[in-house]
Amino acid sequence: MRPLVAMRIAGFVRGGRALAPLIAVLVELGIIYGGGASPAAVAYGYSAVALFPVLAWLTKLLLDTEPDVQRRLARLSVGPAREATAGLLAALVLSLAVCVAAMAAPWLFHGIDTSVALGSGIALGVLAHLLAVPPAIAVGALASRAVTGSIRLGVTVLAVAAVLVVVLGLTGSFAPWLVPPVMATARALNDPAVPPAGELALLTGWAAVWCAVAFAGYGWLRRARS
Amino acid sequence: MRFEQVWFRYARRADWTLHEVDATVEPGATVVILGRNGAGKSTLLQLAAGVLRPGRGAVRSRPGVVGWVPERFPADQPFTAGDYLRRMAEVRGAPESAVGHWIERLLLTEHAGTRLADLSKGTAQKVGLAQALLVPPGLLVLDEPWEGLDSVARTLIPDIVGEVTAAGGVVLVSDHRGEITALPGALHWTVAEGTLQVTTAPPAAPSPAALSPAGSGEEDEVIVEVAVRRSEADRAVVALRASGHRVLGVRG
Repeated sequence: MRPLVAMRIAGFVRGGRALAPLIAVLVELGIIYGGGASPAAVAYGYSAVALFPVLAWLTKLLLDTEPDVQRRLARLSVGPAREATAGLLAALVLSLAVCVAAMAAPWLFHGIDTSVALGSGIALGVLAHLLAVPPAIAVGALASRAVTGSIRLGVTVLAVAAVLVVVLGLTGSFAPWLVPPVMATARALNDPAVPPAGELALLTGWAAVWCAVAFAGYGWLRRARS
Repeated sequence: MRFEQVWFRYARRADWTLHEVDATVEPGATVVILGRNGAGKSTLLQLAAGVLRPGRGAVRSRPGVVGWVPERFPADQPFTAGDYLRRMAEVRGAPESAVGHWIERLLLTEHAGTRLADLSKGTAQKVGLAQALLVPPGLLVLDEPWEGLDSVARTLIPDIVGEVTAAGGVVLVSDHRGEITALPGALHWTVAEGTLQVTTAPPAAPSPAALSPAGSGEEDEVIVEVAVRRSEADRAVVALRASGHRVLGVRG
């Protein structure tokens, strides 16, 4: 499976399609950290929310880069389950790289306030990004051409999911559990006090269950389509 | 390998592209799939390879290693021909020596450093053929393999088909241009009106050689050299074969 993951990352990066989401990440970093230093937990909470739609988009672009016929060749070579998993792993590798860059960047231009609880702030920031990455990959995968079959439907799935994650994630939402806890995590990190372990466990469990359902749906949809 | 009552359609409410396909292929057999454009030859081949899943019915006892040469090679990828084949060999778990072997055998050496997108149609087709052969296939599915190939490369295909069947593999080939005479001993299946008719004899007019007793017709043959316009060469070959003549070669 490793060679297929490497082949897909190479195809995506060399093809130049990675440029657009990369620019979007730079713009977001500029907006988040341009206004002066803020505590690590708060800044990283916003960063995870802002990265969510970009990482979903990145995943869709990555999965859509490979021509349909090549995807079918890969599927014949390694089997349907490993072919689908290799695409998700390729997206995971790139998404984690983007998160590491996004968390390191503010240190270059003093975007993090080092006078308040730095260690716990960074740890919470890492958790916030880790909770945002898998659901973003799931959304991007569900919007990919292999599932949606058309550009219009794929873009619609991506856009609607990105909006719903914010709208249904607001305080007082009627169905917050319909979307992954990206906004809820950012709110928890916005609190000056470190959130209790129970709350963090709840957020992690929520994200895990949401991802399990979303990836199961992806697997089922991919099984039915070539 | 068996097709058991295979039905297929491309969308849930669409008409069935293929229905009630029932057929069996024995190990070591070559099957040529005939039919007009859009009859469903490609669909049948993709069902055989396992690229498409039947809506109803099933394809059983498919060999473990499948080599599929798609009708159009997906050249829109940012790799050189050599890099692509090396990566596909890694993906398929083939030894690196297989890459060199097929690059050499399919006359791709001078194109190994060329980007896939810059290859001519015929050369890209050869890369498609090479990736299918990196691991010796138990089932080789060739979708219009002669398309775009030059006359030298065309002669390689019967040899490769012969090697796969000699090792007990099955080869399925689609063809709408009358190249089938290059594959002696092949079974013929015709796709028409959404289903499959299994015919063992070639549907084209029998050649004079086949009509004469004991197949001794070759003694009565003479060689006629014919010059045709390059653009009409393919049509002329098909027409000559359809009238029962043997085309020995094309040069120029």
